Amino acid sequence: MNAIFGIIIILSISLLLFTNPGAVLSAMLSGGEKALSLTLKMVVVYAVWMGMFELLEKSGLSNKISKLLRPINRFLFGPLPEKANDFISLNLSANLLGMSGATTPMGIKAINELEKHENTTYAIAVFFVINATSVQLIPSSILALRTSFSAINPADIILPTILATSLSTLIGILLCKIFLKRKK
Amino acid sequence: MSKYFIPVLFLIILFLSAIKRVKPYDAFTSGAKSAIPFAQSVFPYLTSIFVLTELFEISGLSLMITNFLSPFFAFLGIPTELTKLTLIKPFSGSGSLALVSEIYQKYGVNGYLSRCASVIYGSSETVFYVASVYFVNAKNKNLTAPIIISLVAGFFSCVFACFICKII
Repeated sequence: MNAIFGIIIILSISLLLFTNPGAVLSAMLSGGEKALSLTLKMVVVYAVWMGMFELLEKSGLSNKISKLLRPINRFLFGPLPEKANDFISLNLSANLLGMSGATTPMGIKAINELEKHENTTYAIAVFFVINATSVQLIPSSILALRTSFSAINPADIILPTILATSLSTLIGILLCKIFLKRKK
Repeated sequence: MSKYFIPVLFLIILFLSAIKRVKPYDAFTSGAKSAIPFAQSVFPYLTSIFVLTELFEISGLSLMITNFLSPFFAFLGIPTELTKLTLIKPFSGSGSLALVSEIYQKYGVNGYLSRCASVIYGSSETVFYVASVYFVNAKNKNLTAPIIISLVAGFFSCVFACFICKII
């Protein structure tokens, strides 16, 4: 991350030095503004979902979801600590169902929980890859955009999207299995 | 159909917790409390990512890389018009959604290019967003290998998306 950040920033600023030096600071500030507005949006989403999640946990429903997904999780991540399995299960179901607001809080909790235990580097990597390659089945934001452009058939991209995103996740998991070692 | 999903889910959660005699007001508030510390820790990371994407875009570096890679991408079946989207996707979700919308406007929403752009958008997540936000409180932030794996997998699915849109 540090290498990518460093290289791109240095190259960009050097380029702008020759083309448009006045734009450097304003571009950086506008980046900060976008970050702030996204943070504000996320805080609200986070607060609501974490509120509902507390109820979900206390109602015992999260335990049931967690038990349901345990065999799949064991196959994907190896043996998991109880609590981490809960968060991962909730994150994955929220992902599948396209509840994008709920995925991030659950994801952060899952990573923090995994980090408390030893030998979870592999599980963390796989969990990251699954989230980064997206497992969302219904691409809701694209559907909304296509509808707003009054496409003849807004939903005709659902099947190809499911195929493409399944493929990316599959390749991701496969690459993890090949290149990252699971500690016994 | 899908618009009933969240309200029904929330009702189920509320009924189940009522049966278990959970205090709903207390529980909801205690969950929501964690939002402010979350904001505090996530903001610096988002700022770095957004400053990066802004500079990348404005400096013309993104355009140079796009032009440089276009022939290679075209060879793999990704149309030149979609090279930029393929490159921006891992960095910025809102940026790439704006690009998709631009493509709809330019080439018509029903054509191959627009359908292909839609599938590319949905085929993977904003990798660097997930890397910075999910790991906001993590001690070990070294994600080089998983990030490379995700980018490679995402790229393959873009190639696949352009192919599948020709058939379906």
